Amino acid sequence: MTQFIFFSGKGGVGKTSMACAHAVRYADEGKRTLIVTTDPASNLGDVFEQEIGHQVTPLATMPNLSAMEIDSDKATQEYIDSAMLPIRDAFPPQIVQVMEEQMSGPCTAEVAAFDRFTDFLDVPCENGIAFDIVIFDTAPTGHTIRLLELPAEWSRSIDAASAGSGQTCLGPAAAIQHAKHKYGRALSAMRQSAQTRFVFVLHPEAISIKETRRAIDELIKLDIENFSLIINGIIPDEGMQNPLFAARFEMQAHYLMQIESNFPYSKQRMTLLADEIKGVEKLRQVGKVFFDGETALQMDEAVDVQLQDESFASPLDFVRAQVQPNGHRRTVFFAGKGGVGKTIASCITAVWLARQGHKTLLLTTDPAAHLGDVLDTFVGDKVTSVNGQLNLWAVNIDSKAAAEAYKTRILDDARQRGRPESVVKVIEEELNSPCTEEMAAFDKFIEYASQDEWDAVVFDTAPTGHTLRLLELPVDWSKQIDVKVFASVDATVADDVAKARFAKVIYMMSDPEQSTFAFVMYPESTPILEAWRAAQELSTGGIHPGLVVANMVIPPEQTTTLFVQFRRSMQEKYLKEIAKRFSVPQVQIPLLPNEIKGLKMLTELGEQMYGMEKVTV
Amino acid sequence: MSNIIPLLNTMPTSIAPADVEFFDPPMCCPTGLCGPTLDQALLDLNEIIQTLERDNLRVERYQMTNNPNVFLANADVMKLVREKEMSALPITVVHGKVIKASAYPTLDEIHTALMELAK
Repeated sequence: MTQFIFFSGKGGVGKTSMACAHAVRYADEGKRTLIVTTDPASNLGDVFEQEIGHQVTPLATMPNLSAMEIDSDKATQEYIDSAMLPIRDAFPPQIVQVMEEQMSGPCTAEVAAFDRFTDFLDVPCENGIAFDIVIFDTAPTGHTIRLLELPAEWSRSIDAASAGSGQTCLGPAAAIQHAKHKYGRALSAMRQSAQTRFVFVLHPEAISIKETRRAIDELIKLDIENFSLIINGIIPDEGMQNPLFAARFEMQAHYLMQIESNFPYSKQRMTLLADEIKGVEKLRQVGKVFFDGETALQMDEAVDVQLQDESFASPLDFVRAQVQPNGHRRTVFFAGKGGVGKTIASCITAVWLARQGHKTLLLTTDPAAHLGDVLDTFVGDKVTSVNGQLNLWAVNIDSKAAAEAYKTRILDDARQRGRPESVVKVIEEELNSPCTEEMAAFDKFIEYASQDEWDAVVFDTAPTGHTLRLLELPVDWSKQIDVKVFASVDATVADDVAKARFAKVIYMMSDPEQSTFAFVMYPESTPILEAWRAAQELSTGGIHPGLVVANMVIPPEQTTTLFVQFRRSMQEKYLKEIAKRFSVPQVQIPLLPNEIKGLKMLTELGEQMYGMEKVTV
Repeated sequence: MSNIIPLLNTMPTSIAPADVEFFDPPMCCPTGLCGPTLDQALLDLNEIIQTLERDNLRVERYQMTNNPNVFLANADVMKLVREKEMSALPITVVHGKVIKASAYPTLDEIHTALMELAK
């Protein structure tokens, strides 16, 4: 029986490296192994140093190992192509074009990506021979949960569709009936403890632990129960000679104890390595450390580490110019993969802006958000002023609650217009589709972004791939509204109002005078590539990066031991690359002996990052 | 014809055409709910359909992505679609005959057509 292993955990914890190290180990043991990523910001190609792409690709250097990156854009295109095949030949070009535009909507993308994902749970074989092991390097936690929750939601929506109108926005009813069994089988395979295991990769840090707890609880609700943990990034003995790393190890020890008592699952530890994990050879070595308990890789002490006498950060006034309101309101979006420090960066920035006297709103639509943890105050789904900091308000847009409110609003509106309950019921069925949540969350963001009372809005965005899809929504929505104008006899006034509102937001996001997209990353190879790809994708929509934030930068004065010198020298190489690739102002958040939490610490970091001029509070 | 054969798989189970058929314009879902506001014309239609079904009439709705074969099977519908493209839609068919194009009919219009075209 094919074994399935899902690697889960917040981006940046080493999930991909651990998934790949497992894949290499199993393949070396002679097991036919497939590694699949569903992460929209996938990077298997970077790790294996080979182009992979959207099909099962045998690795040139590994006889038993194949890999595949599920590219949701490509999956969507394939899905559209198969649905459009009969239409292209038989219908006039104008209709074909409208249909194609319509099918580029968010529902189609969601359906197509999930469809590919379940394909591997259903028939995991190549040339008719089943794989022994299929490893999924899943998307960051929040997104993973959404993906896993879909089958349940879909079953409901499929049942409703076949009982009611016979149509849903998910596609032809017949095709869905077929898919229902497929999704059902996928979910039941996930529930088989003998067949499927969920491996959570985490760091011994508060936020990582909380994230893991949340993700496991969500899975337990779906009757999934086979879990194990990999605690990654543990500072080894040779790191401890340096006071900063020693202090960080103290912090880790505290959290390791917490993990021991909170998670009754099998746990394994993995040490922080002095250099990067890249290429099959390195993955084999990681396997030796992880599976065989060999001590961490020997550093070549003969190598003379050359450190640069340079910080790579940009002058403060360049950096400030990208975040300060300049005559009108400024919206700063923090983009980047989950876990790279978007929340930290947005909290530091929002606190600094507020202390400069700007009325500032800090908001997130990220289901894995932890604004409240970092600000050390309660942040709910209503705009509330942040206790202890004048001029600062925060809100956590809960997409589930937003979806409920959105449904209620639409249903109430229908009732007020005198629609009978039978029709209201039909609407309610339609609203139970998987995309309602996403739309509602974005609708909520637009609502806040359109409020004129703020001098500055800081948006702690969702992880990269997810964010991109969200940002594409307004465009898709405008298209959908265009289609609806065709559909109805009279375009409703409300549609025009909604359209004008979206147009305003789209314009605001692409105007560098009003909006800044700040890309947050670690000074490491994969995170930089991911941020770069995300920036490239955004630039096709006319949005360009305005600022880069390098997080967890080892301060030069801390390079007192060889271990730290190795890591700083690795970072310097990448800080330089960040500057070269992005050619926009760079700001840095230092690696600190403890976690960033509370207003005092955020204030200090803000002054360090943006300077201290004009502090009013 | 060969490119149409695979579509036979998605033919409706019942061969006899419904009493009233709506050939809808492209929409995200039947009530047009995939946008931020409701389309009242589509809601009106939904009420009309419920009324017709209460009178034991068979009503079907078709969209081009889901049921291209049904469009292709009705020569009058395809003629309108080819001539007027998107502006031909929606098209309403009663007992196989087109009774209205470019807009949805009222309940009265459908009742009149049902009486005139009574089998």
